[in-house]
Amino acid sequence: MSNTTQKKTLSKEQILSAVIVLVFYVAVFIAEQTIPSTSMLFTVLKKGATYALVAVSMNLLNGFTGIFSLGQAGFMLIGAYVYAIFTIPLAQRASVYQYYNGGIVQTTLPVFIAMILAGLVAAFFAFLIGLPVLRLKSDYLAVATLGFAEIIRAVFQWDKIGPLTNGSNMLRLFPTFNDFNIRNASGEVTIYLSTLVPLLISGVCIALIVLLINSTFGRALRAIKDDEIAAEAMGIRLSSHKQLAFCISSFFTGVGGAMLAMYQTTVQAKSFTTAMTYEILLIVVIGGIGSVTGSCISSFLFVACSEWWLRFLDQKHMIGNFEVPLLRNGFRLVVFSVIIMIVVLFFRQGIMGTRELPDLFRKRPTDRKKGRGIKA
Amino acid sequence: MSDPVLKINHLTMQFGGVVAVDNFSMHINSGEIVALIGPNGAGKTTAFNAVTGVYTPTSGTINLLGQNITGNRPDQITKLGIARTFQNIRLFSSMTVFENVLTAHHLRKTSNIFTATLRLNASEERKMREDTDALLRKVDLYDLRDEIATSLPYGKQRLLEIVRALATRPKLLLLDEPAAGMNPQETDELGAFIRRIRDEFDLTIFIIEHHMNLVMEISDRIYVIEFGKQIAEGTPSEIQNNEAVIAAYLGGDDL
Ligand SMILES: Nc1ncnc2c1ncn2[C@@H]1O[C@H](COP(=O)(O)OP(=O)(O)OP(=O)(O)O)[C@@H](O)[C@H]1O
Ligand SMILES: [Mg+2]
Repeated sequence: MSNTTQKKTLSKEQILSAVIVLVFYVAVFIAEQTIPSTSMLFTVLKKGATYALVAVSMNLLNGFTGIFSLGQAGFMLIGAYVYAIFTIPLAQRASVYQYYNGGIVQTTLPVFIAMILAGLVAAFFAFLIGLPVLRLKSDYLAVATLGFAEIIRAVFQWDKIGPLTNGSNMLRLFPTFNDFNIRNASGEVTIYLSTLVPLLISGVCIALIVLLINSTFGRALRAIKDDEIAAEAMGIRLSSHKQLAFCISSFFTGVGGAMLAMYQTTVQAKSFTTAMTYEILLIVVIGGIGSVTGSCISSFLFVACSEWWLRFLDQKHMIGNFEVPLLRNGFRLVVFSVIIMIVVLFFRQGIMGTRELPDLFRKRPTDRKKGRGIKA
Repeated sequence: MSDPVLKINHLTMQFGGVVAVDNFSMHINSGEIVALIGPNGAGKTTAFNAVTGVYTPTSGTINLLGQNITGNRPDQITKLGIARTFQNIRLFSSMTVFENVLTAHHLRKTSNIFTATLRLNASEERKMREDTDALLRKVDLYDLRDEIATSLPYGKQRLLEIVRALATRPKLLLLDEPAAGMNPQETDELGAFIRRIRDEFDLTIFIIEHHMNLVMEISDRIYVIEFGKQIAEGTPSEIQNNEAVIAAYLGGDDL
């Protein structure tokens, strides 16, 4: 058997997968230079990149560790705020924090440092709530994390900490994805990077998560998901490994929050609702619980459907004198919900089940899909 | 004389009103194969769960090689050198045979989450994989290496659970009804296998089993419990001739 040699170098399937990813990035780069930057394609790619990172982070918990957490919106909020607070240029603080005398934070960090800080602060909050919450059994854990996200949302709008968070007012004027574009002296864009860079940031983070999943720690997490009692009997300490997974997932969710801030160009606590967490959960379920590739693909599909492809459903259409029935504002969401229900009812494995990109090229359809259950 | 590998002193395990194990004491010396037998519901599995930290004893102490391990967590106890299998097989269902055994190497890692993620532990990881393959070869499971563990025939799954426990490098191995669901031929092979691993891996073995032929063949000593209390202790021939045991247990159709 060639298994032992395969382990040392990359397999054919892995190389093929890497090539596909590379081609994707090159295609995005070329598209960005040639297609007008107002195209919906770029909106979808930017938001898709953001959601993909958050969805993969959630999958790390739900799909690979068996922790059913619903705190995503809360950790994204923390990440978005930390990023925004620490990147608004000094000169703009007076106008942004107009009701709070320019706010108390008077330092501005480089974009990438601020993104990492966003992740670290989210991870720190995860560490604090993880201590009590991770002892709970699945449903209670879901409720507790959901509650945490709601509390965070309320606290960040609290007037008393306004000098830090700007209360219920918007944070704005911080660097956004458009600032990744390279401009010449007269301010015209020479190289468009506002879509490629977010995709790269998200790609690097997801690659790190994949490396983690395939390490000895990732195996320990999967063992915990499969059977906690057996995992413990193999010498795996449940509390510390769950805590680790929770903090790492929250770190990347925080980074995702920072990306969302950049995508939206403004940040306001009240928009980080439970509905946002459900969107991420749906992406994970549709992609396949336990498949990183699935989460990525379904993020882009989900965003494309909700922001782009199904938009026409919200507009009145006339064929001659005949007005097409049903098409009106809000109908898109109805169709969208129906699609989701169909997927959840009839395609429970999601798009990918538990398979990953390289598995798609293996001749013998990988026997993994039998093994890993999909129920969280 | 050195300390016994396992020493249980006056163990009592109570669930609400049920006293599953009642003031039970025993010991196992190094290299012994000792069996724990008794009718269904006698408290055998509960005793195992108390030894491995799944339950905290209501009272009594448990010592491993002279060290008091009462109240330790299961993962700590495994690291100290007790490994086990389960009466109702608990393999990792999403994993292959290889991955199941590989996961049991995690407890000896020296890497942390960062070095492992960034692959700075490559040599350690390679060593884990080589050790896993070597172990699978040794026990003739290498051909099934890439199968999903739970897709194996029942007997192989039982065997794999033992091998996975071995990969934690225990001093004491606890087997909870390893022959359950095996056919007569597999049961015979299991007896030889248990002896073999005892010798090759320098093990001490504590086994719960209902197959009396197997128990009598491999055990150095046997403890018999009923309703959580010890009713007899001795060599296989002593147990076979013990009136109390015959009345309580061996007289039944288990023989
Ligand atoms: N977690 C628990 N909660 C309540 N009662 C329990 C628990 N675990 C075991 N018991 C009870 O303790 C008694 C002993 O059970 P145990 O599983 O130890 O028996 P056993 O000797 O292993 O039997 P078998 O041969 O059927 O495996 C039973 O009455 C059982 O119902
Ligand atoms: Mg039992």
